[in-house]
Amino acid sequence: MNRQQVFVSVLAITVLVCCGSLLLNKTVSAAGEGKITGTVKLDGEAPHMKPIDMSKDPYCVKANPTPQKFQNVVAGSGGGLENVVLYISDGLSNPTESTAVQVFDQKNCMYSPHVLAMDIGQTFKVQTSDQTAHNIHPNPNPMTGNIPWNQSQPPGAPPVEKSWKATEFIEVKCNIHPWMHGWFAVVKGPYAVTDENGNFTIQNVPPGSYTVSAWQEVYGTQTAKVTVAAGGSAKADFTFKAK
Amino acid sequence: MRRNWMKWSLWVVAVVVLSLPVASWAQLTTQDIAARDNMEAHVGNLTGHANSGQAKYDYRRYCVGCHGDLGDGNGEVAQWLDPPMWPKPRDFQLGIFKCRSTPTGTLPTDQDLYDAISRGFDRSAMPIWNVFTKQQRVDLVAFVKHFSPRFVSEKPGTPIQIPPEPEVTADRVKNGREIFARVQCWKCHGVTGQANGPSASTLQDDLGRPIAAFNFTEGARPKCGSTDQDIYRIFMTGLDGTPMPSFADNIKPDEAWDLVFYLRTLMAQPSKEKDIARQLGLKPVSPNP
Amino acid sequence: MRMPKQSRLCGISLCFHSALTTALVLIFLVLSGSQRANALPAFARKYGLRCSACHETWPILNNFGLKFRDNGYQIMNDHDAPIWQNPGYWPVTFRITPIWHRVSAVSDVDTYQNVGATLPFGTTALQRITTTGFDLSGLDFHTGGTLEKNISFYVLPSSDPTAAFHFETVMGRFDNLFGSPWLNIKMGRFELNNLLSEKRMVGLTGNGGIYQTYHFIPQADGNIFGQMGDNQLGMEYVGHSYDDRTRISAALLSSADGNVNLTFGNAYSGFFTFDQGVDMGKLGVDRLGFYAFVGQASTYFRTSGGAPIAGSGLGNKGFSRVGFTGQFYFGPHFDVNVVTQHGNDNAWFGQGYGNAIATDGNGGVTCTGPQLTPGCPPNNTPGTVLPAGAQAPIWNGVTVESRYVYSPQLIFIAVYEAERMSQQANGAGCATSLACFGTNGTYTNGQSTSNLGNINNYDFIIRYNPFMTNRAGMALQSEFNIFHQIGTGATSPITGVNTNLNSSELLLGLDFDF
Repeated sequence: MNRQQVFVSVLAITVLVCCGSLLLNKTVSAAGEGKITGTVKLDGEAPHMKPIDMSKDPYCVKANPTPQKFQNVVAGSGGGLENVVLYISDGLSNPTESTAVQVFDQKNCMYSPHVLAMDIGQTFKVQTSDQTAHNIHPNPNPMTGNIPWNQSQPPGAPPVEKSWKATEFIEVKCNIHPWMHGWFAVVKGPYAVTDENGNFTIQNVPPGSYTVSAWQEVYGTQTAKVTVAAGGSAKADFTFKAK
Repeated sequence: MRRNWMKWSLWVVAVVVLSLPVASWAQLTTQDIAARDNMEAHVGNLTGHANSGQAKYDYRRYCVGCHGDLGDGNGEVAQWLDPPMWPKPRDFQLGIFKCRSTPTGTLPTDQDLYDAISRGFDRSAMPIWNVFTKQQRVDLVAFVKHFSPRFVSEKPGTPIQIPPEPEVTADRVKNGREIFARVQCWKCHGVTGQANGPSASTLQDDLGRPIAAFNFTEGARPKCGSTDQDIYRIFMTGLDGTPMPSFADNIKPDEAWDLVFYLRTLMAQPSKEKDIARQLGLKPVSPNP
Repeated sequence: MRMPKQSRLCGISLCFHSALTTALVLIFLVLSGSQRANALPAFARKYGLRCSACHETWPILNNFGLKFRDNGYQIMNDHDAPIWQNPGYWPVTFRITPIWHRVSAVSDVDTYQNVGATLPFGTTALQRITTTGFDLSGLDFHTGGTLEKNISFYVLPSSDPTAAFHFETVMGRFDNLFGSPWLNIKMGRFELNNLLSEKRMVGLTGNGGIYQTYHFIPQADGNIFGQMGDNQLGMEYVGHSYDDRTRISAALLSSADGNVNLTFGNAYSGFFTFDQGVDMGKLGVDRLGFYAFVGQASTYFRTSGGAPIAGSGLGNKGFSRVGFTGQFYFGPHFDVNVVTQHGNDNAWFGQGYGNAIATDGNGGVTCTGPQLTPGCPPNNTPGTVLPAGAQAPIWNGVTVESRYVYSPQLIFIAVYEAERMSQQANGAGCATSLACFGTNGTYTNGQSTSNLGNINNYDFIIRYNPFMTNRAGMALQSEFNIFHQIGTGATSPITGVNTNLNSSELLLGLDFDF
């Protein structure tokens, strides 16, 4: 590489970085972004989740030596509630856009994860790890701007890459395996999904006062007010009452 | 601006969605719909107008009993139609249609809707409206479209490319059988095409109503047409709103013809493909490969 | 929530026409002869379609209804056989119509010298008699449908207002033989394949409730067998294109005018139709066709003790009715239907031979023998010759029915019919022989005047369906009819010559079925 080339390269990178930061100024963090952490708990005894009868498809039976259970309510030992979507429902003016490509896998005739949260416009990938055919069939309300589609994923099928246009909790199903049932939680701005202990952390929250919402597919939505200091961490805990 | 809109819609959508499959999504009012009555449709060299007197008159006379005056599929007789034997009337507001030449998740073309009106839907309450003049049908297409805001905000999908139909050969029929096995059509349609696959009994449409897989062996007409091209389109575009997915990502365009040929061997109607299958002694695919 | 929607739907006409509606309701309604109307809410219930899908206005069929009927009461979507139906489905419809009507006609009335006298004084005078009152139609039990795919039936037991029953329609049909819409066969007693159906007309009056063109018989003519408006006994082949644009039919009929028990002789007639629909763009599907009703009927009977023996008809003579049919739509709201007729009866019929046994079930005189009973026709026993001057009656007729369909619930209909004799049965020779049959009417030395029997008929109808669902039908109807016929009215006591018939009728009816 001669000096001229080096110069041009450096110049190009500089211009790119400058333009990029100008462009991204609104959305990418400046220093001082904080986070919101907390725990979502279930008050009371978790409803009994029935084991799934997969006898329709011998492949699925074989793939699950221990029968899977339905995942509508998954509570950990300490009462932590899994698969709750946390997002900022009010107070964000210029939220960062999430760009990571997330994966929604069809594995052992179950969806992994059960709830996939994502930002508007964020690309996600639906793939299959199974040796049986699935069809991936999200069912949003087309009136919102999210249009339902339905694609087959036989064994070895290439991943399907998609994104959604509007905020919505979209149910996704496999018609071939009626027990397969998951969610695409499309929200605006930063989000998090609780882990098996009910813990979550919403990253990249600019300083400010917000309303945080917690959505659970059976119990619905709760909200809490938090204030995030620059570079700080705010706490928001939620408790859903078992029905 | 876009963000503001989304913020607003977030609130709208932040409603608990406990059980999606309960009812229709439709929420439009007469005024919402009337605002779109300048909708047009173009088929061949004909132009249809939703606000033509003919369209309104014909819709009220022929369509409204099932599809309702808001186009939401809640006409006065919808309650008497019991799926899967009698599929419920289509909700035009959603803009989701089974029979399209366009990819899954897109709006159909005007020609697709025109064909649906002319063809009717076998095994449903939808009659064959080919007694209408072409102009009447094109006007009705425009009228059907004017119920859905999607026909204003979105463009119809680009029709899928269908390569010229090749000659039927034994190899192609055999390859079609391989595809039938590989993409597992039999999960719903059964290994012999009798709609008795392991998943057939639990099928539901997008609104949670029972729906039947197509039985190839009864001699019934496929809902979206009987020609080889129609059958090609059915599995390459999927029937939106139903469990039938699009196989466009999983079957190559030319190989799709092989599957069409194999499907012909399952059908009751006599065909060249059926003769070839008989000569080859083709057996149904195995559900446990 | 459903209710307001419906009323809005039905009610565009309602709003605009509330005044008219009110008037109509006040006026109250009308009603009908027992033999009309094949509207089957049972079908609408089965298929979930509104009445208006098949009926331009109930019971008149539109193109879609015509196709449904042509397919053997099948919609052709693989759900047609009863085997698919809810067990609760029972394809029966009842139809009956209470009416109020006012009839006005001239009679030759006995006159009384004194009020209160119990006996006529012996003179008569022409006088217009006007009658009003409430009345009732007969009751129809329509039942029809598919027994199995492509095998259907229709049975219509029908009573007169006194509950005396007959079978108006009884038929079985086999459709789409070999999978072709061109092959359909029916057998039984059925309506001929008339594009303008008399059984489905909405007119109710004694005069307007039939199409004159479908029943015209020249004065004193004995041929009752050429009435294409009557349901006939026989077999019919019907074929049509997939979209029903092209329709063709051929029927082989007993020349019995639909009467049962083989009352007449071994004579047959044929009814042939063809019509073609054309896509006229914004106008609609317009149809043009023709029909031919040609056949023979017997002119004399063997007798026993002088009385004719039923079914022993001999001496078959020919007749024909041919014409064009047209159905012209001018957009969704207006259409004109035209039927022309050129009729020709054999001269024997013109002299009254043919209908020796008046058992047509329509209240005719029962004749015990030829000319033994007043009003009974002569018997053409062997050796009889036609009188000099007797000739074949020939005539032309036209029916024009215009309909303005404001909406499927409100329809205005105007019917004009004209029948014109072009050759009378009693020709010039009758003037010298005086042997020609028939003394009624306007004659000059036995020769009929050229216009004897000519008809002008006018009918105006407003019909309103206050609601329209697939569960039941109801219509309020007001109708006014004026009927003129030359030389068939009451006989003038002064000249002894028949006057012209002038009658009018106003009807207000409530027509419903369920």
